[in-house]
Amino acid sequence: MIWEVFRQEQSGEYHTHCGNVHAPDRDMALMFAQIQHARRKPTHSLWVAPAEEISEVDESEASFGGTTNKAYRWATSYNIEPVAEEVADSENEQAEAERARGEN
Amino acid sequence: MAATADLSAPDELSEREREAVEALLYRLADDEFVIADRYTDWQVHAPTIESDIAIANIAQDELGHARLWYDLLEDFGYTEPDLIWERDPDTFRHSTLCELPFAEGDWADVIVRSYLYDEAEHLRLGALEGSSYPRLRDRIGKVTSEEDYHREHAANWLRRLAGGDEGRERAQDAVDRLFPYALALFEPVNEVEDEIDDLGLRTRTLEDMRAEWIETVFDTLTSIGIDVERPQVEDGCVADEDLPAHVGRDGNHTDHWSTHFDEITNTYRELERHDATRLMEDPDDE
Repeated sequence: MIWEVFRQEQSGEYHTHCGNVHAPDRDMALMFAQIQHARRKPTHSLWVAPAEEISEVDESEASFGGTTNKAYRWATSYNIEPVAEEVADSENEQAEAERARGEN
Repeated sequence: MAATADLSAPDELSEREREAVEALLYRLADDEFVIADRYTDWQVHAPTIESDIAIANIAQDELGHARLWYDLLEDFGYTEPDLIWERDPDTFRHSTLCELPFAEGDWADVIVRSYLYDEAEHLRLGALEGSSYPRLRDRIGKVTSEEDYHREHAANWLRRLAGGDEGRERAQDAVDRLFPYALALFEPVNEVEDEIDDLGLRTRTLEDMRAEWIETVFDTLTSIGIDVERPQVEDGCVADEDLPAHVGRDGNHTDHWSTHFDEITNTYRELERHDATRLMEDPDDE
């Protein structure tokens, strides 16, 4: 049985998928994961989940974010100076995401 | 046991104290060193990649513990070649449980062995937390936290092996074969053991720890359908017929040990080395 392993480096951060382990059950999966995925990396916490319990949808099945230009969603119309740090961050993040999707 | 005053620094010990400290350290270091090397026999042969990495990691832990204990022997002027590479194999004090080759291809052997060993190790380390020798006492915490994983690993595997007929039979065979050798873990080196207790180097006697170990092992094994008989103990000693012909603690080893020692030191001798390469700094500087 395959268990997907998620590692969190520090308290409060996201658990990030880092690989898997073969194990007959949950306890053994936790035990093996400690050695296989955390012995050489800073680790605060590990999750394991049965691979079959992970559900997936990928780009062949879905148009993530839609297909039409939705630049109007950006919070760029409010030209107030200075821009709040959070707004600037959010704008940059959205612009980056648009670029990554190849739209702009 | 009454609290005992702390012993002095290594170079200020009386001859009697030093002899007791050395005997205790050799017991610890040699057990860890030899069983660690044995575990590596499983490298690339364990049943799955996960179990391979886990047992290799446990072997590395035990080697790391041996390093800490040999380092404390270096306080007395010994060098690494004195303690390992150029040592007379008959002076090693590990229990024969640590030196026996594994039954070929038998994963139950390594699981049963590590279970018996790690339960004993757990008690032994517990009795050193309050040791009167500060150099030793200060290193126990680090070692114990790694040993907890070893016990969990062995117990988890053992329960699962015993959950099926073939696994239980193999585990039973391994217990029948190894239990007497595991008792050797609690055998005395010689009369120096009394000094170790009197000086408060450990807070429980071998006899006391053995009694608890027997009960723990008996309860665990019988609860998962594996039979084991309590040994006969008279005047604090296990009856001869319940012990193996070689216990190791007294320097009396099986023939497997000389073969194993030759393998361990083969490269050192072939390269005609006279000293050991130091890869890591002194544990005191870490």
